[in-house]
Amino acid sequence: MSRVSFVRKVKYEKELQRDVAAEVIATPGGEKILSCLQCGTCGGACPLSVYMDHTPRRLIGMLREGFKQEVVESFAIWLCASCYECTVLCPAGIKVTDVMYALKRIAIHEGIYPRRFPIPVLAKEFMEMLKGTGRNNEFWLVLRVLLKTAPMKLLTSWPLGLRLWRRGRMCLIGSRIPKPAGADLRRMLEVLEHGNASDVKPSNVTPSQGPDLLPGGAVSRVNA
Amino acid sequence: MNGNGNKSVKIGVYVCHCGTNIAGKVDVKALAESAAGLPGVVVSREYKYMCSDPGQDLIVKDTKQFGLNRIVVASCSPHLHELTFRKTTANAGENPYLFHLVNIREHVSWVSDDPAAATEKAKALVKAAVARVFWHQELQPRRVPVNPSVLIVGGGIAGIHAALTLASAGKPVYLVERKPSIGGHMAQFDKTFPTLDCAACILTPKMTSVKQQPNIHLMTLAEVSEVSGFVGNFKVKVKRYPRYIDEAKCVGCGECIEMCVYKEGKYPNDFDLGLGKRKPIYMPFPQAVPPVPLIDPATCIEFKSHKCPKGCVEVCGDRDAIDFSQTVKEVELEVGTIIMATGFKTFEPRRLPQYGYGKFPNVYTSLEVERLVNASGPTLGQVVLRDGRRPEAIGILHCIGSRDENTNRYCSRVCCMYSLKLAHLLKEKTGAHVYNFYIDMRTPGKGFEEFYKRVLEDGVSFIRGKVAGVTTWAQSPAEEGKLILRVEDTLLGVVRRIPVDMVVLSVAMEAQADAENVRRLFNLGCSAEGWFLERHPKLAPVDTFTDGIFLAGCCQGPKDIPDTVAQAGAAAAQSMSLIDKGYVEMEPNTAWIEEELCSGCHVCVAMCPYTAIHFDADKKVAVLNEALCKGCGTCVAACPSGAAQQNLFRDEQLFAEVEGVLV
Repeated sequence: MSRVSFVRKVKYEKELQRDVAAEVIATPGGEKILSCLQCGTCGGACPLSVYMDHTPRRLIGMLREGFKQEVVESFAIWLCASCYECTVLCPAGIKVTDVMYALKRIAIHEGIYPRRFPIPVLAKEFMEMLKGTGRNNEFWLVLRVLLKTAPMKLLTSWPLGLRLWRRGRMCLIGSRIPKPAGADLRRMLEVLEHGNASDVKPSNVTPSQGPDLLPGGAVSRVNA
Repeated sequence: MNGNGNKSVKIGVYVCHCGTNIAGKVDVKALAESAAGLPGVVVSREYKYMCSDPGQDLIVKDTKQFGLNRIVVASCSPHLHELTFRKTTANAGENPYLFHLVNIREHVSWVSDDPAAATEKAKALVKAAVARVFWHQELQPRRVPVNPSVLIVGGGIAGIHAALTLASAGKPVYLVERKPSIGGHMAQFDKTFPTLDCAACILTPKMTSVKQQPNIHLMTLAEVSEVSGFVGNFKVKVKRYPRYIDEAKCVGCGECIEMCVYKEGKYPNDFDLGLGKRKPIYMPFPQAVPPVPLIDPATCIEFKSHKCPKGCVEVCGDRDAIDFSQTVKEVELEVGTIIMATGFKTFEPRRLPQYGYGKFPNVYTSLEVERLVNASGPTLGQVVLRDGRRPEAIGILHCIGSRDENTNRYCSRVCCMYSLKLAHLLKEKTGAHVYNFYIDMRTPGKGFEEFYKRVLEDGVSFIRGKVAGVTTWAQSPAEEGKLILRVEDTLLGVVRRIPVDMVVLSVAMEAQADAENVRRLFNLGCSAEGWFLERHPKLAPVDTFTDGIFLAGCCQGPKDIPDTVAQAGAAAAQSMSLIDKGYVEMEPNTAWIEEELCSGCHVCVAMCPYTAIHFDADKKVAVLNEALCKGCGTCVAACPSGAAQQNLFRDEQLFAEVEGVLV
């Protein structure tokens, strides 16, 4: 007979951190989580919900109540495949996929994420690569992700890489975007991460030549 | 000089706190003090509730003490208390039109966040009212007789109940129904919740009474095409579509249907929502009222090719009720009041393709299932699927088209209860395992919660979660050939796949497709969803913003049968109160024309929407018939020489009011 263990299950209000909901609410459309009916359409629709520790519905419920630890540590947010089925069906108009992204950002920011799980590593490596060369190179991206998550997998997956390379689907040499545009890109990334757009002016791209990047992805054209 | 000759003007100003509704935003003391300094103001007070008896007594006492002859009350909307204070003014011995109401609640305190700005606005509005009331004149209300006939639009349970109530009180009723029979949606239902009364058993006696009641003039296959006039004196045009069978001659024996060249029904029957078949000549359903068949010209061979042997005409013989030459006719009615009972339509579930309605044959709407379980339905009450199988598992999906940002935001109010009823009936008739998928269970009615408990005890499964979709994609042999529902069971916290044979979509109630046109025809208000707007959501739930037109049933919003009947009774009582009073008092806001100023330009004659103005060729001036004038003010605005003037909206009054706000 196994020993009976008693685990405290009460969740006290003082353990809750309601600011995590505020962070999600601050994202565009995020305020909709307040109108969640807890109907479970998202969980029913999600092709991956059966593998999740918390379904999207429960995540939103916990998020609203300030169960920060559980939400941010949840494995579910990394399983989201961004198929947007939940967003399409949600009767409360919640952009569930965007909520998942917001939670992923918070988790990365807080440094709480499954270290050897490929999705956060992929996201980080992708960004690093973009910051460096402005272009994505599949070969190096896959190599870096696999080295950091499952290096032994390289032993089994190299034949696939070889076949892709033979058909010209994988380039071993990375390319880089031209200098002035590269500087603009870095500035744009900087704006996205820290500052506001008004501080940053395009270097040699005059407004009439192309769309002007504004926060929130709005595009204005001067030469109407 | 003022509106009342030389009598000196003494104005009393009364500011209402309305509890904290006004006083919470507006500095009522400062407002009353500022009003005291305005020209002509003799007394200015503030009080907690001006509409209360002590508040009204203040006005009466002051009028006697100070000899007031103008009253200004700054309180709520004139919709609520203009009449109250007009009566108070009359009680104080003054003409009721020497009063003016300022709305500092809906227009100021409720719509403002800034107390200082709110007080300033209230001061400006009171100043305008004081300036305006100076020019007010003694006026007498006009009396117009009320025609005792009532028009009821729609022959569902709401229209039927209102018609019977009015007719039994001796009022002539015109009951206009678009379909070939009265009865509406209720006639299609099998049982009614929560008592499980048979819908037909309780409805058909009322339908028969409609036919037998001599005061009711029933018009089926008819639509209102034009409405003019005003409270007490509406003129209505009704289009009557041909039935091709003379209602006066037919006895409803049904032999013509037997003799039709089609031996079996071939065309989908509307009443059974296409689940049953009918012939080109048919009765909509056995208990139809009037019990007269009709011919559908789109499917009748005689209409298509004129080559039919016409067994129907032959068997009818000397009675000669069948008349292929009938055409659309228009009749004109004169009525005093109108009751709108146009009902609802069910939500079209094809708008939500994830539920597979129209794609998978065994996905039904709840209304279709009502016909399936009904003994007079297309399967004679046998619940069998389209392939003849008996279902072993049935899923009932709540909130289809309700509580959904993608379709309708509102709760349709009846779906929880009718889903419970269908769960009970389906379980009883098939022995199948029934699942209910709900977001929230809403059973707030008399005997409703008890019924829920009863269905729970029946062993019906209740799963709290909205089904995300219906699929036939089987993942295991047990799911082969089934409809699979994927749902998160939110109480158990697991995602489930549930195979069923039959899916019932509990579809929402929606406003009729042509509600917008009907609303325009009758000059009614309408909410964003298309429901007709009541005058006040709590205190005038059957009145509309058009005097003399009342609402009954689901045209005003989703509701169940008891509420519909109650509202229909209320609408009948409202209309009866107008009829029995015999007259309506109209606002004395009619226009008149100053002969000396009139240049005879004819502009007003052409503009008047009520043909109340004609041109006197001898005097060469326009002449206004006060009895026809509705006080719309069109002529006043159009007159280039300022000859057209209107009571309650005279130039001096309006200019003084504008000046009061601005200066």
